[in-house]
Amino acid sequence: MASNNTLGYIIIDGTETMIRGAALITDAKGFPVDFVRTEPLRPDQLARILYGESFGKYAKEKLILESLLDAVETDPQLWICNDTDILTPLRENSRIKTVLLDESPHVPLDAAGHIEATADPGVFLIQAEPNGNPLRAQFPQGVRPEEVQQTAAVLTEAAATMNVLEPFTRLAKAINFLATGMRQV
Amino acid sequence: MGIRDFFARAVMRRRVKVYRIDDFSVEPPETKKGITRPKAHRIIPSITVNSSRPRDFTELQTKMKAPAVRMKLQWKNAAAINTRFRHYVKEDVKVQTYNFTKKPETSNSMLKQAQALPQERDNILKTIKKRPDSLKNEVILACYGPIVEGAVLKLVLNKQRGTLLVWYKAGSRQLKAKNVYLIRRLELGGKPEWRWV
Repeated sequence: MASNNTLGYIIIDGTETMIRGAALITDAKGFPVDFVRTEPLRPDQLARILYGESFGKYAKEKLILESLLDAVETDPQLWICNDTDILTPLRENSRIKTVLLDESPHVPLDAAGHIEATADPGVFLIQAEPNGNPLRAQFPQGVRPEEVQQTAAVLTEAAATMNVLEPFTRLAKAINFLATGMRQV
Repeated sequence: MGIRDFFARAVMRRRVKVYRIDDFSVEPPETKKGITRPKAHRIIPSITVNSSRPRDFTELQTKMKAPAVRMKLQWKNAAAINTRFRHYVKEDVKVQTYNFTKKPETSNSMLKQAQALPQERDNILKTIKKRPDSLKNEVILACYGPIVEGAVLKLVLNKQRGTLLVWYKAGSRQLKAKNVYLIRRLELGGKPEWRWV
């Protein structure tokens, strides 16, 4: 079910011995409208030996990410992640516009909605808020220019009513809280 | 006498010992009955997804038919798992059922807990390009935004971090965002106050 004016945030974090993920769909104010999380995935030593260094990437893409996308009931108009490992798989699996967002030390651009390409392929600076530094936006490989424009428009519209990076902080707090403070239901 | 004849005679003189099968003391291996089959462990354990909303039953059935389902589904209404549903459940899919003592609304508890977390706004005073006209005669101490004033349930200033915690009302459709300034009037002894701009 596609829903306008919603943004989807996904984080997948963990260590060599435990990986977990969560997805938060917010409305235009940043208020949660859907939230899913995975139980921590704890590979045993045999799995870590057999998969080696590729286990983390495999677990993120195939186990955590796909499970989260299956469980989410509200499709956002834009998925936002903060991990390059899941940027392209998120785009391919969800078939929804996807961007990796981060803060940027760059000086503010001319105006809200302004886009500036960087030296890195697929990375743009987007001035979502009228004030402050632009966002560093990384897109999946082969992104079309119109998709960059559309994403910038979505982010600019959202930034008028919310801080578009703030939900990452809340999402991290939420999964920590649920992991430690919530009984299994 | 050639060497061939020598070996032929030497061999012929020696009796060749013939072993019968009965001479072997080796016993056939025991056949143990009741050996349990070794357990097969998945290298990658199945994964559990907790959803904030009860899943649609039809959708769940569709997912159960999919061959690649790896989720350990948590169906939160035990009564819904009837024989028809079980028909679709593949062997490799683990379904956990729970007996809930609470009402069905508790299935949204995870979302409610996420909604209860406040949003945190940093002080953006440094990035404000133009001072609002309405605040010309005040000392601006801090500025937080954007915040949808009409949807605010509670604002709390985190004095240690200098951030503003914002709780919104659930279900509010307000979308008009403003910045909220913490100001102090120039009058002597003026107390800090909030001003929406």
